[in-house]
Amino acid sequence: MPNGSAKNSASVKSADAAAYGVLAVISLYCAIPFLWVFIASVDSEPSQFLAWPKEWSLQNYINIFARQDGFLWIANSLIIVGSATLIVMVLGGLGGYALSRSHGWWRRPFLYTIILIRVVPPTALIVPLYKVLLTANSVVGGIVRAVMPPDLVRPTMHIFGFIDGYLGIILVLAATQLPLALWIMKTFFDTIPRDYEEAAVMDGATLMQTIRRVLIPLALPGLGAAGLFAFIIAWGDFLMPLIFLSSAELQTLPLGLFRAYMRVNQLDYGFMTALAVIYTLPAVIAFGFARRFLVQTFGGGVKG
Amino acid sequence: MAAIELNGVQKSFGTVDVIKGVDIRIEDGEFAVFVGPSGCGKSTLLRLIAGLESINAGEFLLDGKSMNEVAPDKRGIAMVFQSYALYPHMTVAQNIGFSLDLKKVPKDEIRAEVEKVAEMLQLSELLDRRPAALSGGQRQRVAIGRAIIKKPSVILFDEPLSNLDASLRVQMRAELQRLHQELAATVVYVTHDQIEAMTMADRIVVLKDGEVAQSAAPIDLYKRPANTFVGTFIGSPRMNLLSASVRRSSDGSVEARADNGWVIVLPDGFSAFDGDRIKIGIRPEHLRLVALPAAISAKVSVVERLGVETYLTFNHPKGSIVARLEGDITVKVGEQVGLEVTENACHLFDSSGASIQSG
Repeated sequence: MPNGSAKNSASVKSADAAAYGVLAVISLYCAIPFLWVFIASVDSEPSQFLAWPKEWSLQNYINIFARQDGFLWIANSLIIVGSATLIVMVLGGLGGYALSRSHGWWRRPFLYTIILIRVVPPTALIVPLYKVLLTANSVVGGIVRAVMPPDLVRPTMHIFGFIDGYLGIILVLAATQLPLALWIMKTFFDTIPRDYEEAAVMDGATLMQTIRRVLIPLALPGLGAAGLFAFIIAWGDFLMPLIFLSSAELQTLPLGLFRAYMRVNQLDYGFMTALAVIYTLPAVIAFGFARRFLVQTFGGGVKG
Repeated sequence: MAAIELNGVQKSFGTVDVIKGVDIRIEDGEFAVFVGPSGCGKSTLLRLIAGLESINAGEFLLDGKSMNEVAPDKRGIAMVFQSYALYPHMTVAQNIGFSLDLKKVPKDEIRAEVEKVAEMLQLSELLDRRPAALSGGQRQRVAIGRAIIKKPSVILFDEPLSNLDASLRVQMRAELQRLHQELAATVVYVTHDQIEAMTMADRIVVLKDGEVAQSAAPIDLYKRPANTFVGTFIGSPRMNLLSASVRRSSDGSVEARADNGWVIVLPDGFSAFDGDRIKIGIRPEHLRLVALPAAISAKVSVVERLGVETYLTFNHPKGSIVARLEGDITVKVGEQVGLEVTENACHLFDSSGASIQSG
């Protein structure tokens, strides 16, 4: 029945076309805001509406770095989020290993307790968290004032302070991302047979050698996935930096963007969209790097 | 040079006693196989020898030296894991040479050693591949290579062939035996497969519930099982067991009246009195068909024709009997046939299951 099959394939084709059409509309709908942000950022006279630029210009980007503290914001964001991610990866890796290999009764309650912490909305935690950090900050402040010359107290507190200091915001961000990382790493280590470690022991590897040469390479996809999640969520976090950072020297990218938006009488779309592009890039790049780890971690464990 | 001696070795995990006082002696260069059903403690015993688990009580001697407190890598023992445990991020060469690399042996020396081992195992072409790009049999050989590069005096195998398909398993069995002869190392091999045990071992240690049921050469296990457990574990199809009472007549003849009605004449020379309850073990291959009328007759319940041999099953409320007959036998289900037990082929056990045969 050649006729029937031809009809059949024609109807398949039209169904395909309809599906692609719908998907194209949805994709366009999703892509337009990004497109607008990008186009507006290189438009010399950007407006609230999507429009083709009359004149292309990089002036908005230049403004961020030349007239504002663009470099400082980027550096602060990278230092804070990068350190938090590093802490999450180290503690998530070690803790996930312990949670996977231990048979202690505390394991299950612990895992559910840490995930409960994530259930509480961060906003609800601000007041108690601020109180705790304030106390810690005054302790650190006391020590710093005791050992440092007066003119170095402020810069030192910018590093080690719990309020308005790198250390505080790094620890807060790391702590909020750690539960998820522990779960990911625990689940990941569950898929790695103990035989690998025992084979290393039989081969004469010390604990450090086993960790460095066997466990870390095996756990890399998991660590990559956990690190990526920590980085992207912490990078996107706005509330914590807003509350715990106030000095101009410690401003991060989201804060810079927010303050630009808050300038009441001059809403500079060009500046804001350029900053938004810069703010988005690291997260996208991080995702690009760690994408295959995600697939390996959530797509079926270690092969080999 | 390594004789293994386990004296009263015990191991428990929490309140569960897994190894309950095991005494085993394995001579230098022997191929010893630990065999038993799952949960019998054979893998745990292997891990105790490897040093991956600590011994709770008793002693493990290697050439007379206590190894209880010696670190796993200092025992001169290598182990091949069931999962092979090849590191997926290393090449075949790196996997095999890992132990030397950890010892900081110079790179060119490692390369030379790896190549030597690879040649022995026909892996030379595969040295730069990752384990993921290897077949099951090749992975198995890499795992063996990783063990023998250490020149161990003892090699432990934990169910190494269980992940291979049947034909590869036969091939690897032969290869392992060849390796054993070339290396002249003592081998301890754990399996639940009695065919592997029977074909490869110099000595089989049958384990049951954390205790040694019997330790002997394979053919001795088959011919003189120390108890019903060993009797039924070794041999396929498994040994038939009949509960019976002993009848000693005044003329000196002895016979056993089995609960299923069979009467079997026994040669004297076992320790049981008139009226004692015993168990008679008859291997399926020791039954043969005879013309009716016969001393023993039974109705055929199942016929399994394999071409080279035929299995007949005779169901009975007091226990089914299986006969293994040579050739293709054409009997029908439901047919009444006469049976005869090969002379002197009965294994006799007391009611607790221990052998009561003398010699």
